[in-house]
Amino acid sequence: MTAKILTFSSHGDTTLLEYDPATADMDEVNRVIAEYEVKTGAQPFDMTTGERIEKVTRRQNEVLMVHPIAGG
Amino acid sequence: MFMVRVALYLIPFLAVTLRRLVFAGMGREWPVGEIDPPRPRQNGPLEQVLCILDPVGLTLVAGELENRADAADPVERKYRAKRYLRRIVALTGATQIGGGYTLHVGTTRLQVRDGYVRRVQNVTNPKCGYEETCFYPAHKEMPKAEQIATALLQLKSNPALFDGWAARNGAFKADGQVFTRVQ
Repeated sequence: MTAKILTFSSHGDTTLLEYDPATADMDEVNRVIAEYEVKTGAQPFDMTTGERIEKVTRRQNEVLMVHPIAGG
Repeated sequence: MFMVRVALYLIPFLAVTLRRLVFAGMGREWPVGEIDPPRPRQNGPLEQVLCILDPVGLTLVAGELENRADAADPVERKYRAKRYLRRIVALTGATQIGGGYTLHVGTTRLQVRDGYVRRVQNVTNPKCGYEETCFYPAHKEMPKAEQIATALLQLKSNPALFDGWAARNGAFKADGQVFTRVQ
């Protein structure tokens, strides 16, 4: 089984990261997510529960990076 | 001579009709050899640079699009965004009312429409008024459905984002932190 870190776009979903949750180095997964967040402001959401997640664990197999929204 | 000409005109017509009849009868049972074989994924230079397979089985594939919709096809883009919105609506428990989506978080009701959101703080109090603010994606042009989906997902997780949007203090991450673009 593989897990994916995705961003949604109407142009097509982008897979940032694909890994086997049973064996992957989760610190490395979270490091990549943190780098992406610094660049884009996007934060991870578990697409099974719809909840934002602080740290991705082996339980999540589909994580969506959700981009910031501005008001005004 | 006339009959020969008629026969010549009829040959292509009969050939097309016969072909349709034969293939319609075959339905899904077309021989595999007639279907285009799956083509290998064609990575551009960017994906080739970013694609790393490390010993722990982690594949970094930033920039690689899946289920790619033709950017030139606005109908397909709109369809994808609507499909995404339907998924997020189901995930957040929102309900569609007219052109908007209603989300309940505790005693607060949030009504999200294209580009703006209305908040009713106490739904148990019929005299309670509402506040309204606009929102827009910080990064890019998004179809309306995608904008609504993003707002629903974020508000469900953090309804206080409404206050940040209303204060017009820039773009906010889902956890409420102000997002400052990295130069």
